[in-house]
Amino acid sequence: MKQTLEQIKKDFNLELGNVKTLSDAENLRVKFLGKKGAITAVMPMLRDVPAEQKREMGMLLNEVKNHVQNSLDEKIKQLNEQEIENQINSAEKIDITMPVNLGVGSLHPRTIIQKEVEDVFISMGFVVDTGNEVETEFNNFDAVNVPSSHPARDVQDTFWLTNGEVLKTHTSAAQNRILKKYGTNARVIFPGRCFRNEAVDAGHENTFFQIEGVIVNENVSVANLIYFMKEMLSKVFKKEVEVRLRPGFFPFTEPSFEMDVKCPFCGGKGCPTCGGSGWIELCPCGMIHPNVLKMAGIDSNKYSGCAFGLGFDRLVMIKSGLNDIRVLNSGNLKILKPFKLNI
Amino acid sequence: MRISINWIKDFVDLDGIETEELIKRFNLATAEIEDVFYMGQNTKHVVLAKILSVENHPKSDHLHILKVDDGSSEPVQVVCGAPNVRVGMVTAFAQVGASVNGYKISKAKLVGVESFGMCCSEEELGIGSDNSGIMDIKTNKKMGTELSEVFPINDVVFEIDNKSLTNRPDLWGHYGIAREFAAIFDRKLKPLEVDDLKQYEKLSKLSIKVESENCYRYSGIAVDNVTEKRSPMEMKIRLNYCGMRDINLLADMTNYLMLELGQPMHAFDHSIVGGIVVTEPEKEIDMLTLEGGVHKVAPHSVVICDEKRVPVAIAGIKGGLKSGITDQTNSLLLESATFNAVAIRKAVKKIGLTTDASVRYEKSLDPELTTVAIARLLKILKQIDGGIRVSSSLTDVYNFKYPTHKIDVDYEFLNKRSGVKLEKEKVNKILTSLGFEIKQNGESLSVLVPSWRGTKDVSIKEDLVEEVLRMYGYDNIVPQSMNFNLMPVEQEKEHVNEYAVKRLLAEKYGVSEVHSHIWNYVDFNKANHIDEVSYVSLLDSSNSGQSGIRSKLVPTLLRFVSENKNNFNDVRMCEIGRVVSGLDKNNLAIENHMLAICLASTTKTEKELYFELKTMLNNICESLLATKVDYVEGKTSNYYHPINSNLIALKNGTVIGEMGVNHPKVKEGVCPKHNLVSLELDFEKLCAAEEVKTVRDKVSKYQSVALDFSFMVPNTINYAKLENIIETFKTKLNMTYSLKDVYHNESMKNEKSYTFNFVIGSMDRTLETKDIEKFSNSLIEHFKQNGIELKI
Repeated sequence: MKQTLEQIKKDFNLELGNVKTLSDAENLRVKFLGKKGAITAVMPMLRDVPAEQKREMGMLLNEVKNHVQNSLDEKIKQLNEQEIENQINSAEKIDITMPVNLGVGSLHPRTIIQKEVEDVFISMGFVVDTGNEVETEFNNFDAVNVPSSHPARDVQDTFWLTNGEVLKTHTSAAQNRILKKYGTNARVIFPGRCFRNEAVDAGHENTFFQIEGVIVNENVSVANLIYFMKEMLSKVFKKEVEVRLRPGFFPFTEPSFEMDVKCPFCGGKGCPTCGGSGWIELCPCGMIHPNVLKMAGIDSNKYSGCAFGLGFDRLVMIKSGLNDIRVLNSGNLKILKPFKLNI
Repeated sequence: MRISINWIKDFVDLDGIETEELIKRFNLATAEIEDVFYMGQNTKHVVLAKILSVENHPKSDHLHILKVDDGSSEPVQVVCGAPNVRVGMVTAFAQVGASVNGYKISKAKLVGVESFGMCCSEEELGIGSDNSGIMDIKTNKKMGTELSEVFPINDVVFEIDNKSLTNRPDLWGHYGIAREFAAIFDRKLKPLEVDDLKQYEKLSKLSIKVESENCYRYSGIAVDNVTEKRSPMEMKIRLNYCGMRDINLLADMTNYLMLELGQPMHAFDHSIVGGIVVTEPEKEIDMLTLEGGVHKVAPHSVVICDEKRVPVAIAGIKGGLKSGITDQTNSLLLESATFNAVAIRKAVKKIGLTTDASVRYEKSLDPELTTVAIARLLKILKQIDGGIRVSSSLTDVYNFKYPTHKIDVDYEFLNKRSGVKLEKEKVNKILTSLGFEIKQNGESLSVLVPSWRGTKDVSIKEDLVEEVLRMYGYDNIVPQSMNFNLMPVEQEKEHVNEYAVKRLLAEKYGVSEVHSHIWNYVDFNKANHIDEVSYVSLLDSSNSGQSGIRSKLVPTLLRFVSENKNNFNDVRMCEIGRVVSGLDKNNLAIENHMLAICLASTTKTEKELYFELKTMLNNICESLLATKVDYVEGKTSNYYHPINSNLIALKNGTVIGEMGVNHPKVKEGVCPKHNLVSLELDFEKLCAAEEVKTVRDKVSKYQSVALDFSFMVPNTINYAKLENIIETFKTKLNMTYSLKDVYHNESMKNEKSYTFNFVIGSMDRTLETKDIEKFSNSLIEHFKQNGIELKI
């Protein structure tokens, strides 16, 4: 039996050297350790071994069996590692610099910037409301103190409709409704699309966006307006900005101002964005005219308010780098699609 | 409008203030200065020179060879083409190396003769309008003296943005601007030197009759024995620097007064116009005006006629040619009037003629100015032509006076509105410097608004806040935070959702958001077989190109799809925009907020695209709005496929939109190589839809059982119906189900096999075989009752 076992070990060692693959290894395992394997076949022989040799033969059998088992395990481990090594070496080198399709579309540049601006206002406790695009003459003009003879009411300036209404010429058309709705503690912005009957070119559109806001409370002052606008614009431009007021005239505010922002791109030295002047005219604003407050049922002696507009399309052009305002109302995906979800 | 600083300095001393400072402070306190011109800077080495000899050029029929004395040791030879050259004449001579209004002068040869310089006309120098010959200067200054030492050609001229003066009728002349500068820099405004009109009171009156209510005031006076025809150079320079041409003394005088005081004036030849009738003719008239054009004057425009009712001027706009001043005129009838601003504006629009006068009248001029202007004109005219004689008394018809505004205001009010603690003395000083008459009563102030600010500009105390603050300096206001009650704010649901939906579509489905115009594109629709009505139209569509307002959003998007089809295999667009879907009983527009999506693809099938639309909408409904919609059969717009399109309804049955494959005829025109689907729904209604709460299954601790059932379903039954059948199945067990497979082969006629996976269980026990059998049998029976058999 001893000879048989030693012969088995010898045979096994010989054959192990020929194992090249995992299936070779499996075959070898079956051949020696399987139900009909060489070692398994030897096991019954132990019964016939004389008692005094049983212990020795049993140990030898175990030793051979363990040797076969361990050698096979070791071989399989080696083969597995080699297999992985082979996989790595035969892998295709992936060019990660190849272009990918994000599969995303795009938000309109106005929407992207509108959200930015609205978030600034919301962070300051404002509500965002909306208005109609078709408005009555009363809301668009009378309710915001535009005299009946004002040139803005001419057909040449305003898109009048066949039913006597107008395409709203300014977001202020919503002021009356907004002031009535929010009353004496109003902090509201109302973005909207406005229309003017004018010829379209790279710098002018008959359809454009404005964002307007009102603050009403006791004793709102010009100093408050300046503070607020400066803070708001600093957030919008993401840096501390300097602002200045100049006299303006709007029927719905008194006093009225034009608010300029010191050009955040050149610091006031003059650049193409600010047209060389160092200042960007961006926010018509003022203290709400007492007639406008009265028409909304607010006591203009007790309460005051400020109203401000944002030349929103101008802001969009500045921030998006577009140079032709007509793109904003076009379906030109070659220009619009690259905006994706941010500017 | 152009403002000459030399002219301003007639009325206010601005010594010691840099031009930059003038511009900056004026910009911040009054109006926008758009441009600055440094006049005369481009004219150098143009000197006085006397013509010593004149010879004809041997080879030219109009050139002369001159010898001039330009102050240098030797006479200078110059070739000159001007017809008015004569020996002894003193002219403006540009030496070699000179600059003439920017034009460089060098030695030249004219038809073979050398010329060392150039004799200049007023126009060439940019200081007058006369180009008929070289300047003929009367002076006692030495030859060789620089022109800038002879005439005030050096000046700084500001171009002020007219728009920023819209509400300031008082700023349309130099004197008003000077008042602002005086107030800004705390300098004294000099009183206007005027002629005393009282001295003519005994003279006879002119015949002036005002029949038009739109003529607020008409003041006239007659002057004769005018012998001087040409304006002095100083006046010509100012007129030209301010953008007007000089014509003759009397015409120039009226223009000069307009530029100085903002009051338009007109001089009629008194030998032609004896008296005045201001009227509004009922019929259209033709008027040959001073600049030589014939204008149709619409009925009921204000017209100035002579005493025989012959029209002689279009009121506030332009004088007639026949009655105008010529070089022969030596007696004149001077008009200084005020009209209703709106009437003038309307006339301007109708006639199509805007003038320097009409621009001013449209701003609501102060009627008090008419007589001041006459008195001022006479004062200046007498200085130029000492021989003139005023031949009538001032004749003044003053039919409409603006009310005088008196404003009572507390200093505290000014402080509160401005947010600045203003010193009373400072307030008083500012208002006084602007011409307001004030009376202080302790803590309050009584303010009388000057007539030139009272026609529309200043009438309430808020106006005074502006006056005080702009002079105090907006840049001196210290920004102040606001003290408000803090309270949570709730945002409008629709607005929040609008952004979320756009973002979802862009981020997950590759859709691009666009903004389209609100017009109904009739030609595009017609060419592509799209029916779209307009419930309202524009009265004037000259700038929009389209007159109708859209009632649908998809057609405008289809137009954009068409524009992009050659650049993209996949065009995916959405817009949330407004349409007008009808008129209400008050004839007011019904405006809807619509969401539209169009998908076009060269690679995807119509079916795939259609289901993509549905996926998008379901995602919007379920993940953002917590609601559900139904896809129901019904008639869709004509640009959808008659079979493969459907209506979109809320759970309560309200139809809010439509979607589908687009009609083959539409696709053929819009994008023949792409498959095309569209969706449009009322976004406002969708956002307002009732939330449909998803029922969460309770977790049972007992095992559940999964069962598959396949049914043979006739093609007439759609999936929604199957769902409905399952949902109306009553069982006491917990049951969930899902569609596992739809199978069809050729042997199946008009039906398909649907396999559902049902998971059943109980909250209180493990199901037994008999429970499962009972469930199966009753489910199969339930389907059978609805005409659907189990697949065997």
